Amino acid sequence: MHIPDGFLPIWESILFWIISLIFVAKSIMWAKNNLDEKSVPLFAALAAGIFAIQAMNMPIPWGTSGHMVGSALTAIIFDSPWAGVLMLTLVLIVQGLFFADGGLLAMGANIFNMGIIGGFVGYYVFKALKKSNVALASFLGGWCATFLAAIACAIELAIGGVFPLDKGLMYMGLYHAVIGIIEGVITAIVVSYLSSTKPDLVKSLSTQ
Amino acid sequence: MDNKILIGGLIVAIIIAILAPFLASSNPDGLESTAEKIINEDALHKNLQALGLEEEGTVAPSPMPDYSIEGMGKVGEVIAMIVGTLIMLALAYGVAIVLKKPSSN
Repeated sequence: MHIPDGFLPIWESILFWIISLIFVAKSIMWAKNNLDEKSVPLFAALAAGIFAIQAMNMPIPWGTSGHMVGSALTAIIFDSPWAGVLMLTLVLIVQGLFFADGGLLAMGANIFNMGIIGGFVGYYVFKALKKSNVALASFLGGWCATFLAAIACAIELAIGGVFPLDKGLMYMGLYHAVIGIIEGVITAIVVSYLSSTKPDLVKSLSTQ
Repeated sequence: MDNKILIGGLIVAIIIAILAPFLASSNPDGLESTAEKIINEDALHKNLQALGLEEEGTVAPSPMPDYSIEGMGKVGEVIAMIVGTLIMLALAYGVAIVLKKPSSN
């Protein structure tokens, strides 16, 4: 759901850059207070993995495809939605600068949808459900993150006048309800795998 | 142990990066599919004109648009993905090293 330049009016692109930069600044503060030296390799490895898996579009019905985003997974592993914001900001910078995936002006909106909405929704859904079942909580965290990021994207495009609101919500919601399953399954697999083999790496499970 | 995570993660990422050009679906993604069906062409045209773009994309040229290298086909896509994965790893590592909390010792 990378918004290209041209989909949003300039004023709206700038507005979302301003909003997102405030969150990015907070995510930098999070790193300065919480990211310990031991976690640096994990953060970098996760970034490489998320970049690669984002290019792996998987087919869904209706001649459409979708891919993992990864902010929910990052937020769960680092026990903070701010980790997801920082991660997706870096991923979107590389994608936008080197691969024309998502516009540079629209990057603020893309950070807002995939980093901020994705990170916060994914983290708090997981946190609310982790006591019942970690895999299910991870799946639903990932699914809700993708679905609500897409809903936010549809609303932004409706505000800009490029999509009609009703049909935008319907199609974006429908497609991403399915794409969210990809996000949920991969998030659940990675969190389950890490929590069984290297439980100390999944910070939201080792702390209360 | 820490280097193991870095190398292990990089190996997994590179494998995915090499496979992606062959396995990834070329169908439009959810946003592109939605746009094909319902986009307001007048509004899009107005936005593109304001930016001086001919079609939607990005305001600055990218060296490897759409994860490909011009004229190099699948090989170029594999190279683009590997280069991207390494840039991503380096950027994330560098940013994390700079931003990490001061160590206690």
